[in-house]
Amino acid sequence: QDAITGTVMDADNQPLPGANILVEGTNRYAVTDFDGNFSIEASSGEVLQISYVGFRTRNVTIGNEQTLTVMLEEDTSELDEVVVVGYGVQKKSDITGAVASVKAEDIVKQPALTAVQSIQGKVAGVNIVSSDAPGSTPTVMVRGIGTAEGGREPFYVVDGQPTQDIRSINPSDIESIDFLKGASYANIYGIRAANGVILITTKKGKKGKAKINVDSFYGVRSTLNRVDMANASQYITYFNEESASLGGFMLSEDQQFNTDWYDELLQLGSISSNSLSISGAGEAIDYFFSYNFYEEEGILKDNKYSRGTIRNNNTYHLFDDKFRITQNINITYTNEAPKPFSAFNNAYRQSPLVPVYYDNGRFGQSFVNQTTGVVGYRSQAGESVGRLYPHGNPVADVYYQDQDINTTTLQGQITAELDITDKITATGRFGATKFYSKNNNYNPIRERWLNADPRRTLEQFEAGRVPDEEDGTISTEFANNSYRVIDEEFFRWNLEGFVTYNDSFDKHNLSATLGLSRENYGGREKMEALAYDVYEEKRLRSLGRRTSAFFDNTVEQEFNQSTNLQSYFARVEYDFDKKYFVRAVLRRDGTSDFITGDNYFENFPAVSLGWTISKESFLEKVSFLNHLKLFAGWGKLGNANVPINIQQIKTNAGSGNQNYVFGPTQSLIFGSSFGSPVVPLRWEVTEEWEAGFDFELFDRRLTGTLDYYNRKNTNTIVLVKNILNSAAEDDFRAHAAEVTNTGFEALLSWRDNISDDFSYNLSVNFSTNKNRVQNVPTGYDGATGGSLSNGQITKRLKDGEPLFAWWMYEADGIWQNQEEIDNNPSVGGAAPGHLRYKDQNGDGVIDDRDKKYFGSYIPTFNYGVNIGIQYKKFDLSIDGFGLGGNKVYNGLANTRLGGENVTAETFKNRWTGEGSTNSHPGAYRDALPSSYWLEDGDFFRINNITVGYAFEDLSFFNRVRFYVTAQNPFMFTRYSGFTPELNRSGDNEYGNPVGTTGMELSAYPTTRTFIFGVNLQL
Amino acid sequence: CDDFVKEVEIVDPTAEESGEIFEPVQFVTGVYGRHTDFAFAFSYLGITEIISDNADKGSSPTDTGTDKHLLDGLEHNASTPSIRAMWTQWYKTIGRASLAIEYTEEYEMTNESLRARLIGECKFLRALNYFWLVRSFGEVTLQHVDLVERAPVSEVYAFIEQDLKEAIEVLPLKSEYASSDLGRATQGAAQSLLAKVYLYQEKWQEAADMAQEVINSGEYGLEEDYATLWRASTENGRESVFEIQARGDIIAHGVQQYSQTQGASGPNGWGWGFNTPSEDLLNAFNEEGDTIRRDATIIFRGETLWDGRQVDPAVQNAMYNEKAYSSANAGNNDTDKNIRVIRFAEVLLIRAEALNELGRSSEAIIPLNDVRDRVNLGAVSTTDQGELRMLIWKERRLELAMEHDRWFDIIRTGQAGDVMRAHGKPFIDGKHELFPIPNDQRIQTPDMTQNPQW
Repeated sequence: QDAITGTVMDADNQPLPGANILVEGTNRYAVTDFDGNFSIEASSGEVLQISYVGFRTRNVTIGNEQTLTVMLEEDTSELDEVVVVGYGVQKKSDITGAVASVKAEDIVKQPALTAVQSIQGKVAGVNIVSSDAPGSTPTVMVRGIGTAEGGREPFYVVDGQPTQDIRSINPSDIESIDFLKGASYANIYGIRAANGVILITTKKGKKGKAKINVDSFYGVRSTLNRVDMANASQYITYFNEESASLGGFMLSEDQQFNTDWYDELLQLGSISSNSLSISGAGEAIDYFFSYNFYEEEGILKDNKYSRGTIRNNNTYHLFDDKFRITQNINITYTNEAPKPFSAFNNAYRQSPLVPVYYDNGRFGQSFVNQTTGVVGYRSQAGESVGRLYPHGNPVADVYYQDQDINTTTLQGQITAELDITDKITATGRFGATKFYSKNNNYNPIRERWLNADPRRTLEQFEAGRVPDEEDGTISTEFANNSYRVIDEEFFRWNLEGFVTYNDSFDKHNLSATLGLSRENYGGREKMEALAYDVYEEKRLRSLGRRTSAFFDNTVEQEFNQSTNLQSYFARVEYDFDKKYFVRAVLRRDGTSDFITGDNYFENFPAVSLGWTISKESFLEKVSFLNHLKLFAGWGKLGNANVPINIQQIKTNAGSGNQNYVFGPTQSLIFGSSFGSPVVPLRWEVTEEWEAGFDFELFDRRLTGTLDYYNRKNTNTIVLVKNILNSAAEDDFRAHAAEVTNTGFEALLSWRDNISDDFSYNLSVNFSTNKNRVQNVPTGYDGATGGSLSNGQITKRLKDGEPLFAWWMYEADGIWQNQEEIDNNPSVGGAAPGHLRYKDQNGDGVIDDRDKKYFGSYIPTFNYGVNIGIQYKKFDLSIDGFGLGGNKVYNGLANTRLGGENVTAETFKNRWTGEGSTNSHPGAYRDALPSSYWLEDGDFFRINNITVGYAFEDLSFFNRVRFYVTAQNPFMFTRYSGFTPELNRSGDNEYGNPVGTTGMELSAYPTTRTFIFGVNLQL
Repeated sequence: CDDFVKEVEIVDPTAEESGEIFEPVQFVTGVYGRHTDFAFAFSYLGITEIISDNADKGSSPTDTGTDKHLLDGLEHNASTPSIRAMWTQWYKTIGRASLAIEYTEEYEMTNESLRARLIGECKFLRALNYFWLVRSFGEVTLQHVDLVERAPVSEVYAFIEQDLKEAIEVLPLKSEYASSDLGRATQGAAQSLLAKVYLYQEKWQEAADMAQEVINSGEYGLEEDYATLWRASTENGRESVFEIQARGDIIAHGVQQYSQTQGASGPNGWGWGFNTPSEDLLNAFNEEGDTIRRDATIIFRGETLWDGRQVDPAVQNAMYNEKAYSSANAGNNDTDKNIRVIRFAEVLLIRAEALNELGRSSEAIIPLNDVRDRVNLGAVSTTDQGELRMLIWKERRLELAMEHDRWFDIIRTGQAGDVMRAHGKPFIDGKHELFPIPNDQRIQTPDMTQNPQW
C-alpha cells in the first residue's frame, strides 16, 4: 500500500472540495480539502470510487502512478436544474407546463447582436424571424400570433426587471434563457404575458478563484441568395417589347453601359465583438463584471451599428447568508448609421443601361433620349429627353443618407432577500431604466437637387434661392441642406415585494408565494427640431448656426403620459412524494390605461397538474425508462399593449377638409367634424390550455417533450372600417374577433459519451401552428392590409382564415390573343401577354368578389436540428433551421410602373407571343396583385457550422479555444427573391400582420457570414 | 394600494368632455369643408366627365389614374375605386350635415335666426349630396332611416325636396348675407337646385316655376364675357349661384389638387394632364361655330393663354380643361379655383327646357336665347317642341361643358345609349345608366341590393 495523492476537479478545472474517495471493498476513505486535494492509502490494482453530490461517480483503477488528477463530470440529468419561472425558481422535474430553457453555451455558439437571434431554431414553438440588417431586432412569435392591432413583442424580464429593448443585453452575459410558453406559467406576468414571456438570467460569480474570460471574434458577410438581374441586352429586348405594346419609343441596341446595380450597391459587410469578463466569489461576495464591444457594418456601405455594454452583478451574503443583497448594473451605449433599404428596391428596378455616375461626375439617373433611344441625358436640338421610370439611383440614396443615432441605456436594480425563518423568505426589489437617444439627420438638399438631373447647374439652384416678391419666402426645395435633430428619453421603474414559504412534511411538499408589484412605464419626452442652411462640415453642424436666415427653425415637443401598473400575485405549488403535482396561480392586474366603470382590475388565474408516472411502482421496473411525467394546464393571459380609441371631434390647422373659405377676401375659416363613435376598449384576453409529457429514456441519453396547445385571444381588437354609407368618418377599433392558435410541439434530444475522448449530441425540435380568425361580426371583417404602396392591397381579415390572410386574384394562365379576352371575363385594360384571372363567382366580371384567400405568411410548421460532437480537443457543431407551410409575396417582382429592369429568370420565362407560354406574363403586363406573385415561403437553412480546437493547461491560460464559424452557409428555398424571412413592416415595425410582413419590397437580404474567434480563460 | 393606477389620468376618450367649446358654426363649416376633399379633384372627374363623350382620360397611356381608363372605356365595375370614393364622399358629407344639424338644434344659443340659417345651410348641402347620389346610383339608402334597405328613388327625391323647401324658408338672399359670409348657401342656391331636382323628375311645371323664382329674385344675371366665367375675377359674381370656395394664398385651401390633376403634363407643364376635352367636344363647338365657349373651355397645345402663359408645344396631350386652370396658382396642390356648382345660365336653361316640355315653346326660347346671345350665337326661333328640345340639350352641353354635368344629362334625357355608342363606347342600355353599388359597401352590408346587370 502506498500513499496516493491526487486532486479532484470539475470539467472547468475548478477543484472540488469535499469530494469522497473510497477504496472499493474497504473502509478506507478520504475527503478532498479546499483545494480539491486528497491523500489515501491504496495499492496498485485497487479501485478508487470518487463521488461528489451533483456529479457522476467515477471509478479509477490504481496503476503505477502516485498522483492522480480526477475529473468529475456533472450529472447531466436536466431534471435537477432549476428553471426561472418568475418571482422564484422551480426544479425542472417539478415543472407542470411548457417551459423551455436555453443555456449559455448554446447562445454563444451562434454570435449575434441579440441572444434571441442566436437561438433561432432551438426552441420548439418559438418562431424567430430574423433580419440581417445591422442593429435589427428579430421578430419572436411564441405559439403563433394572436393579435392584429396590439403589441406583438414577447415580455422580456432580465433578472426580474422588465426590459424594453433586448438589444441592450450582451449575449455573453447571459447564463440562461427560459421561455414561459404555456399560459399556466406565463400568467404570473398577467396583462403583458399574451405574447409569451422570456426570462433572462445573467451571470453571477461562482465559488473558486477569480476567472477571467476573453472572447473575441471577427467575421465577414455577404449576400446569401443574390438574384440575377437581366443584363443590358436582355433589358433592351424586354423594354422594347413592353414599349411596342404601348406604342412608345424604342431603345437603341447601341448603348454605353451595362451596370450590375447589386455589384455597385453591395459590399462585404463585417462583424466583430470583443468581450472581457471577470468573475468569482469570496466569503461574502460574488462578483461578475463584463465589458463588451460589438460592431457591425452591413452590406450597404457605411451602414453601421455598434454597441458597448458594461455589466456588474454583485451579491453580498450577510449574516451567515441569511440576508442577501444583489445589485445589477447594465450600461449600454449604441451608435447607429442607418441607410435606406429602399436602395435594395431601386437597385432591383434600375436599368443596367444607366451608369452609376455620368462622366460629369453626377450620379446616373434614368434619363433617356426618346428620339435616339439611347439612355442618357444628352440630346440634339429637336430631340426629347424623358425618363425610363421615376426610380432614383440606389447608390446615391445610400451616399446621401447622413444620419447618426446614439443611444444610452442605464439599467440598475437592487434585490434584497431575507430568510425570516428556515421556511420563509422575503424578497424586495427595485429596478429602474433610463434611456436617451439622439438622432441627427443631415440632408444635403442642394447636392440631391443637382444630382437628380445632370443638366442642372448651380446657377439654376441659386436662381431658386431668391425670395418671392409677395411674401418673401423661398421654397425649402432650394435650401442648401436641412438638419433634423431628435432627442428622446424615457424612464421606467419597477418595485416589487414577495414572500415565499417552503415546507415539507412526510411526503408532502408545499411552496407558496405571495406578492405585489408596481411599475411605471411608457412616459416619454421627445424634442424634434429642424433647421435649414446649416454648416456642411459635420463638426460645425448646429441648429443655431446657419449660413442664411431664409428659413425658420421649427421645434416640436411631445410628451407621452406614462402608465401605472399595479399587480398582486399569489402562487401555490404542492406535490405529494414528487409524484403528483398541483400548481395554481392568481395574478390581479390594474393599469391606468383602462377603466371599465370604476374598475381598473382584472384577475388572471391559472392551474396546472402533473403526474410523474415513472415513479409509480408499476413502471419502476422498466429499466430503460428514467423519467416520464404527464402535465396539463390552463391559464388566462392579457395584452394591455393595445391601441385605444380617442378623440371624437376633429379639427385641422391647415388645409384639412374640416376647413373652408368664406368672405370677399377668402379667409380660411377653421371648422370641425365628428370622427367616429368611441367604442370603449380593454386589454385583449387570451385563454390557453395545454397538455403534454416529458421523458428521459436509456440512461437519460434520450430526453424529450411533446405537448399540445390551444390558445385563443377572446377579444381581439380589429380596426373596423366605418360603414361606407354611414355618418362615421374614421375607421375605429373594436373588439371584433377571436384569434386561435393551436399546434403540437416536440423536442427530442440524444446525447452519449462513446469514450472519454468522444461524445456527441443530437437534438431535433418540431412544432406546428394553425392560426385562425373566428367570430367576426358581419361588416367587421373588411379590414385590409399588405399595401403595395401603389393603391393595391394583398391581405384581408376574414372569418375562418388565418389572421390577415393573403387575398387576391387567382392567376389562371396568360391571355394569348385579343379574341380570348373579348370572349371571356377580364379585368379592364387586359391585353395579350397579361395574366388572366379566374372569375371565381362566375358572374362574367372580374372584380373584388373574385379575389380568393391564399393562406398566410405565418408558417404552419417549423423545425430545428442541432448536432454537437466533441472529439479530444476538437468540437464541432452544426445547426439547421427551417419552416414552411406559409406563403410570401414577391412585391419586388410584382409592382411595376413600366420600363424597369427585371430578373434574368423573368426575362427568360416571359411570354413573347401567342403560344409561347401560358405560365408567365409578357413584358407588357399589369401590376395587379395575384397568386402568380405569391410563392412558397418554405426554407431550410444551415445557420451555423462551427469547428473549434481547445488548448488546455497552457502556462498562463487555463484554456484557449480557437474556432471558425460559418453562419448561413447554405439555404434551401424555392423562393425567387432575396430572402423568404420577411419580418419587417415599414421601417421599425416588426412582424405587423396588417402591414407588409411576409412581403418583399425592400427587405434586407439574408447574409452569409464567416467568423474566426477565440475564447481565452485564465 | 389600488389608487396607484388612478394617479395617472386616463386620456379622455370623448372630446366632448375635453372642455374645449365647439360652436355649431364650426360643424357647419366642416360640412362645407368636406366638399374640398381630393375626391372632387380626381374620382369625381372620372365619373362625371371622363366617362362621358366630353372628355378623355388624358395623361400618358400607361398612367391609368388608378381606374380612369376603366371609366373612359365604360369598363368600370363594382370594385372601381372612383365610384366607391364618391359614394363614400357623399354619404360622409350627408353624415356631417345631419350631425351638424343635430348639434345646432341642441346647442344653447340666443340667436334663433342664426340657428335657423345654419340648419338651412346644412339642409341645402345635404340635399345637394343626396341629389348627386340618387342620379348616380338610383335607389339609395337614406342615412337616417336605414343603412341597408335602399329607398325608392321617389322617396329619396321627396327627402331632397323637403330639405330644400325647408332651406328656402330660412336661408337669406345672396344680397342679405354679411360680406364675411360670402360663399354660404343662399335662398337662390336652394331654389336653383330644387329647380334642377324637379327637372330630373320631369316635374316640368314646378321646375319652370322654381327657375322663375330665381330669375325674379333679381339677385342674378349673366356675366358679360363667357371667357371670364371660370376665372378668379368672376368668383361669386352676378352669375354665381353656388360655388365651392377656394383660396390660393398660404394657407391655400380649395378642392385639393383640382387644378393639378387637370393641368397640362409634360415639358413645362403644371399638372397631371387628366380629364382632357375630347375630339368630340371640340367638334361640337366647331359645328356650332361656338368659338367663344370653345376657347374658354379648352387649352390647346402650344397656345398662349389669356394670362400670357405659353403652353409648350411638346405637352403630352392636345387639349386640356381650361375651366380647371388657375392663373395665379397653376399646378399647386390647393389653388384659388372656385368650382361653380350652379350658375345662373343653367337656371335659364332649366326654365327653357321645362317650358318647352310644357308646350310653351315660344316662351322657352327667351331664356335659351339669353344664353346664346352672350356668346354671339344667333337666336333660336323654332317653336317645334322636338327640335327645340334637341337644341336645348345641345346648348346645355356647350354651355356647361367640363362642369361635371354632361354624363348625368345624357342619362336623364335618355340619349346616353345612342350618344355613347356613337362615341365608340360599349354602353349597355338598362345597365350603364346607374353606377354599381360599390362592392366594399356590399361586403359590409351583404343584404343591400345591387343595381340591374351589375
